[in-house]
Parts: sequence; C-alpha cells; structure tokens
Amino acid sequence: MTAPDADRVPSADEPLDEVDFGLLDDIRELFEAADPMPADLPERIRFFLALRDLEIEVARLAAEEDLAAVAVRGAEQSRTITFDSDSLTIMIRIDTNPDGTARVDGWLAPPQRREIEMKTAADSLNVTSDEQGRFAFARVPRGMAQLVVRPADQPDAAGRSVVTPALIL
Amino acid sequence: MDDRNPATVQAAQPDRSVRIASLVSAARQGSEDALGQIVTELSPLLWQVARAAGLSSGDAEDVLQTAWMRLVAHLSDIHDSAALTAWLVTTTKREAWRVRAAERRQLPADQESLAEVPDQGPGSEEQIILDDQRRALWAAISRLNARCQELLRIIAFAPRPDYAAVAAALGMPIGSIGPTRGRCLAKLRAQLASDPAGSSP
Repeated sequence: MTAPDADRVPSADEPLDEVDFGLLDDIRELFEAADPMPADLPERIRFFLALRDLEIEVARLAAEEDLAAVAVRGAEQSRTITFDSDSLTIMIRIDTNPDGTARVDGWLAPPQRREIEMKTAADSLNVTSDEQGRFAFARVPRGMAQLVVRPADQPDAAGRSVVTPALIL
Repeated sequence: MDDRNPATVQAAQPDRSVRIASLVSAARQGSEDALGQIVTELSPLLWQVARAAGLSSGDAEDVLQTAWMRLVAHLSDIHDSAALTAWLVTTTKREAWRVRAAERRQLPADQESLAEVPDQGPGSEEQIILDDQRRALWAAISRLNARCQELLRIIAFAPRPDYAAVAAALGMPIGSIGPTRGRCLAKLRAQLASDPAGSSP
C-alpha cells in the first residue's frame, strides 16, 4: 500500500482509488479481528429463515442474562428461558435426561391451546399445549433448536404463528 | 471464506454485486439456497452495523434475525445488489436504534443522549496484535469523529460497487454522480500522511 503521491492531501471529491480500497480492506481486517461476527450466526439465520411463515410473529429473548445461558452448549444444570412476542410469552425450562438428551417443559401466557413444534437440525417434534398453556417435549436431541407456536385446531384462524430465535439446547 | 485475503477481495469485488443480484433474483423466485447465500454474504456487514450502533452481541444477533425476516417480506421490491445492501443496512440500523431506545427506557433517570452512545469503535475492543502499519491505521481511525468511524467500519464490509448506496443509507452520501472518496476517507488519508508510520509501505 503506497500512495502515488504521499505529500498530496487527497481530496474528498475525487473518485475512490486503489489506496482507498487498500485502506478499506485493512479496516475490514481490523474489525474482523476486533469484533468478529459469531461464525455460526449466518447458519443460525438460515435455519431461522427456513421455517418462515407469511403470518409470523418473532419472539425475542426477554432477558439479556438468558443469552449467556443459551450460548452454553450442553450445560448440565437446568435453565429457564423466556421469550416475548406481542401476543404471547413463552417460557421454557430445559433439563438434561439421563441419556444426555434434553427435556423441555414449557408454559404459554396467556394460557391457551396451541400446536407447538420443536424444530431441530434433524427433524421436528410436535406437541399441543393444554388449556393451562403447558407443554412438554420429553426428549430433544442436543444442538440447534427453535420453537414454532401455531394456532391449534384452526389452520385458517386469525392467530399468528410465533417463532423464537434459534437456541442451542 | 478466502476473501479475508485482501488480494482475493480486490479480484472478486467487481463480480460480487453481479453475483448478489443474481442471488436476489433466484431468492425472489423462492430459492432457499440463494437466500441462504445472501445471508452468508451480507451478515458480516450487518453485524458491524448493529455493533457500531452500540448493541451487545446478543442484541445484535436478534437484530440481524429480525432484519433478515423483514427482507423476506420485501424481496419483491428489491432488484439489485445496491438496493438490497442499502435496504438491509437501513433496516438493521433502524432496528438497532429501536432496541437501544427500549433499553434506555428501562433505565431510570437515564439522561444518556444519542451522542453518548458507548463507543464500539477502535480502542474499546480487546487488544489485538497489530503490526506498526495496522497500529497506525487503528490510531488514525480513532482520531476521526464517531460518524466517520462508523461509516468506514461499515463500508469496509460492503460490496465495493455498493459503497455509495451504503453511505447514503447511513445518511452520509459520498458523491451525487459517482462514488467519491468522501470526507471520512480523505481525513483518514490526511491523518495517515501526517503519521510517518502510517505512510510507510
């Protein structure tokens, strides 16, 4: 990277030249080192987009401290995660089965019957919540997973599907 | 990805926008794979947009997911790489500010102004090993104002032909006819020229 004329102060109105492109490449490398995007983020977003609906509501992690827990792959202790969307709060507790798979118990607020899908990298598991909004997945493989909550028994109903961000069980 | 190598980036740049435009066209026709390739291609750019806005890593991930979800609903309006990149940058930045505003509301008696956003630019990150030239560049960037730091950080990750569109999306247009250097790069080069370590090859 050598300026053609190092003594001349470059003007803002000139076209971009190779020195500028070289500097921008260097800046990119600096920030790739200083603040790298998590390497698996594009994969998680692709996973997330693959189950999009037309009528979909995206839930958010309700508390920052949960994010750290979500990031801990294969944590032994049970953990509780809450997701919020405009229409629904989804709380899940994740425990470890003796065989290493995850058990997921969940609650919907307000309580209601919904079809609930646990989408994993391998396949998807389906349950229905009861009138109290409770649901359970007895055995879920470890790895990336995502919940999709759909209106129960009424495919054409006005209720919207709610998806959570991808999380690591 | 091999485009961390600057030489590869330079060689690949003219094709990058063309490739993205064809991916957009395929994604509009329902190709999951094309959409996925766009995600892989442009998420590093959007990550820098979200982080430069002062978001935590977790919030930045949420904001990126939201921006990509919104894109899917708007794909029919977007036909080229520059429009796509500008749309994603604008949406990510807007969503990042929404998240930050929501967080500020949760802090009682918080008088923080927009100008006091925590600096996510050079100097605030963990120390990385830099050679003299890189250190001079890092120091020169640190001396620029916050807006210029943000602009350079973000356009450094944008497909090269889309620089002007991205700068405009950030509210800092760099040329009304063709993309010009703009005052931020000009200031950076002036800084480097005044620092002997920075102008050495």
